[in-house]
Amino acid sequence: MKIPYSWLKDYVALTAAAEAVAGDLVRLGHEIEGVELPRAAVQGVRVGLIRSKGPHPDADKLSLLKVDIGEAEPLDIVCGASNMTEGDKVPVATIGTSLPNGLTIKKGKIRGETSCGMCCSETELGLAAESAGLLILPKDAPVGAEVGEFLALEEAVFDLSITPNRGDCMNVRGVARDLAADAGLSLAPHAGEPVAAESGVGKPVVGIDAIGDCPLYLGRRIEGVKVADAPAWIASRLIAAGQRPVNGIVDVLNYIMLDMGQPMHAFDADTLSGGVNIRSANDGESFKALDGREVKLADGDLVVTDEAGVIALAGIMGSEPSGVTDATTSIMLEAAFFRPARVSLTRRRLAMVSEASMRFERGIDPAMVAEAMQRATRMIVELFGGRPGEVVVCGDAFYGQAGRKLECSIGRIESRLGVAIPASVDEVLVRMGFGLTREGDALHVGIPSFRHDVTIPEDLSEEYARVIGFDAIPAILPPLVVSSPAKSERAVHSAVQAGFVQVVGYAFIAPAEQRRFIADATSDIALANPISEDMAVMRRSLWPGLLKIARHNLNRQQPGVALVEQGRIYNKVEGGHSETDTIAWLLTGEMQQDAWHGAAREADFFDLKGAVEGWLSARGLTGRFIAEAIPGLQRGQSAKILVGRSEVGQIGRVDAAIAEDFDIDRPVFVASIELAALPSGKRAKFVPLPEFPSVERDLVFLFDRDVVAEEIIQTVSKSGGRLLSDARIFDRYAGKGVPQGKVSLGIRFALQDGTRTLTQDDSDTASKAIVAAVEKRFAATLRA
Amino acid sequence: MSDIDAMIAQLESIRQQAQQDFAAAADSEVLTALKVKYLGKKGELTGVLKGVGGLSVEDRPRIGQVVNTIKAELEQVIEARAAELGAQADAARIHAERIDVSLPGRVMPRGALHPVQQGLDEMTAIFDRMGFMIAEGPEIETEFHNFDALNIPPEHPARAMHDTFFLRDTENGEPMLLRTHTSPVQIRAMQRFVGDGHEPPLAVVAPGRVYRCDSDVTHSPMFHQVEVFKVDRDVSMAHLKGVLQYFLSAYFEQEVPIRLRPHYFPFTEPSAEVDIGCVFCAGKGCRICKGSGWIEVLGSGMIHPNVLKSVNIDTSIYSGFAFGLGVERLVMLKHGIPDLRLFFENDVRFLRRMGA
Ligand SMILES: [Zn+2]
Repeated sequence: MKIPYSWLKDYVALTAAAEAVAGDLVRLGHEIEGVELPRAAVQGVRVGLIRSKGPHPDADKLSLLKVDIGEAEPLDIVCGASNMTEGDKVPVATIGTSLPNGLTIKKGKIRGETSCGMCCSETELGLAAESAGLLILPKDAPVGAEVGEFLALEEAVFDLSITPNRGDCMNVRGVARDLAADAGLSLAPHAGEPVAAESGVGKPVVGIDAIGDCPLYLGRRIEGVKVADAPAWIASRLIAAGQRPVNGIVDVLNYIMLDMGQPMHAFDADTLSGGVNIRSANDGESFKALDGREVKLADGDLVVTDEAGVIALAGIMGSEPSGVTDATTSIMLEAAFFRPARVSLTRRRLAMVSEASMRFERGIDPAMVAEAMQRATRMIVELFGGRPGEVVVCGDAFYGQAGRKLECSIGRIESRLGVAIPASVDEVLVRMGFGLTREGDALHVGIPSFRHDVTIPEDLSEEYARVIGFDAIPAILPPLVVSSPAKSERAVHSAVQAGFVQVVGYAFIAPAEQRRFIADATSDIALANPISEDMAVMRRSLWPGLLKIARHNLNRQQPGVALVEQGRIYNKVEGGHSETDTIAWLLTGEMQQDAWHGAAREADFFDLKGAVEGWLSARGLTGRFIAEAIPGLQRGQSAKILVGRSEVGQIGRVDAAIAEDFDIDRPVFVASIELAALPSGKRAKFVPLPEFPSVERDLVFLFDRDVVAEEIIQTVSKSGGRLLSDARIFDRYAGKGVPQGKVSLGIRFALQDGTRTLTQDDSDTASKAIVAAVEKRFAATLRA
Repeated sequence: MSDIDAMIAQLESIRQQAQQDFAAAADSEVLTALKVKYLGKKGELTGVLKGVGGLSVEDRPRIGQVVNTIKAELEQVIEARAAELGAQADAARIHAERIDVSLPGRVMPRGALHPVQQGLDEMTAIFDRMGFMIAEGPEIETEFHNFDALNIPPEHPARAMHDTFFLRDTENGEPMLLRTHTSPVQIRAMQRFVGDGHEPPLAVVAPGRVYRCDSDVTHSPMFHQVEVFKVDRDVSMAHLKGVLQYFLSAYFEQEVPIRLRPHYFPFTEPSAEVDIGCVFCAGKGCRICKGSGWIEVLGSGMIHPNVLKSVNIDTSIYSGFAFGLGVERLVMLKHGIPDLRLFFENDVRFLRRMGA
């Protein structure tokens, strides 16, 4: 909300600089978005009189002006506008002036003609969002005067962000009240006397069916008004407050709303038929709002109706046909209290916002309803004539005015804030409208009618905190609470130590990407209001996100990437959903770049498998990798990962076609492991180091090409005898010298005994047994 | 010439020849061969001794003495020569094995923790030290946990300020949403704590992802928060300030001034926004703090009694403070990262640099 400083001064005699007032507002809990300086922003723009206007020799749309700004010689100005004539007075930005739009005026040539300044529109002066042509100033504007001063532009305007609890500060007087209370100054009352009704003026018939949502409704007719523009002082304040003048009646009501917080509405009384009733809308009812929207209403929406139908959505917006126009001669004024929750629910369902609804949903001051009606009447009659009728009051005339009572304990407030509250600060709260009486520890509080946010003692603790200031509260470390030490999940950390770069992807992906790896959509969790179709479903796999990140990096000249992500995947399950913490890897491209000591190498399955094995082993676990067809992965290069008996994840090469969908044209390898599926690893246990050396032996066999290495090792382990301490594949060769369909595998095994040094006999025995077992099991032949 | 003189002359000539040969030996193998040739069991010196039988009994020891002397001398010469040759060979090898130490080293694969992860790690570690328990909660939440239990009823204006992602399907008839803040973990942690029959104190730090239906230069639809709260007897705003002061100084690794401004959150009363003295200009005013010298970092307050009541904690005995901080924002401030979007673009050049 924007409030001109001058407007605040109507209510409180502030003298400090605007910056200092802004600081006070912040301290009181009103966030400042900025302090605008409209007058300073147009410093150097002066009133100019157009002495002559002639065509530009080279451009049809430009004119050459001679403009008198009160100096010895008139200025030559090239101007692109067309709405001015000789004798008009216009704002002239002189050389060196910086305008609010950032433009700095320089002497220059426009299409060959010298221009020594610029004639300005409202937009260029920052007075309006749009304008047609130059701002033509009144005839009495003194030539050469600063335009900012002549137009009485505000010196400073505060841009405040009022928190939703402080409906009472959604108006100038409310903010002034806080400032006055804080500074120890008095708050001026609203000026003016009630306006007496004139005889012979019609009196609206008002009924309230929905008394719960509309406890108080005031109506009044004013006949014989002549609608004209609002005077400049109202218009300029509205503009400074960020509103656009509409017509005199509407402008006066907006002014009253900004000034005292009561939204009002004026109907063209001649468009209404019969009496007015405030009731719940019927499902399917509709009306045409002032903003041109056709609004479909639902049961429960609060509407103001006449006999023909809806004339306003209560507290949100009036109807278009019943609105006041320049042709209106009789009006019906409305001032009411609508229940905040009702206004909030309706306007949110309809996604409508208005200045009125913002105030009603935060709660207006019920004590201000009747006063606003009187003030509006007086201003309208003074400015636009007309004869006011009697005010019709429907509902509870004293609704909400008594204010509520609250009992607090000073000690409880002090212990909540951690600071003592001297009785002297009570005065500040009293100036803010509270009634306070201390009685020992007891504090009897009368809550003013405009403070809907104060309902419990804790709310009052906030008022005291604001007044005392948070700076006065000491900083004390609370006593330590000993909790069970956290066992933090360091899954991603060990992957990073192995050389992978951790990424963080969005939890929502495109449904099409999801389908690449999970064909069935039944467990997809879809968003009702996604930002885009690319972020429409919750991910059930981390792989699509990793592929997108890989593409992003490969497109930026990375020769290869090794990525790891830890995050949740989301699935619909019987009666709800699951969120599963998962770690996933992606490896593609060069493992290392060409270097003086070696050539680059393209990553393959075993690079990633090694990484996953290392990651498992860091947790004290060993995985088994069993060939398996996995959706989205290339057949023959994919496996499930088992730890113990349970499947914990998958690994493999992404199908080339899918990789291509992600614009990746090289082999990509991915793996994922569900963290909760992992058993907790064995804690490392001490084993004495061997005292006697081990002996190693190599055996090379010719196998069938499709042999499974893991099975060979199992066979070796079983047949090697109790001394066997290790067995692994150390060589693999298929090519020249090896028949088609065969593969040569070298097996290295080791024997060790804890009690003696082994002999040739020991290794011969083991060797013989292994050869026999392997040849038998795999129909393999020993080569060496 | 007597026999003995002839033998001595022969020995002398062997000695001279041997010395020449040793000096001329090009490497240690030649030298070893020469050693065998002259001093070996069947070497030349020994060969001369074979003629000892023809000498008189009194001459024999003399010849023995001469041979021993020559032998000792030659052995010394060999040793010296061997050392010389060894030194030469070492020098040659070292010369041959010289390298260009300015060539780049072999690259060991280097990973990087995402800066958000680093932030989460650092922040939770600080609270862990202060005795806070780490808790997590679901990201897909009910309206009750995300709003109602936090004193944000359906018609509350604050509810509209959370740009909430809703799920298309309900669960057990209830609308579901992506949590807009980590505050629902407050509710869940307290529910479980109370449900398990415990009484406060309870101090929790809850890191996690949160979602807002908002995406532009300064907003990401997904980001991270850390929720911190403590419930105990006599918890006050002063404790809140103490914890904030400790945490912010520990995180920024310098003594940072803090400022609390009154604000409004439905789930705290009183509520305060917390500013830190600008870490870029030390409070003098710069572009980043918009000249104010202060930077807003988080929202905080004393837990609203309605929140405690919603989880059956007796507000006549217990009170608590809570705050929630935006992880990305603090990480950006700590490391001078200018743009929120960098976190989710996942450019490995950025990640490697920040992961250093
Ligand atoms: Zn700064």
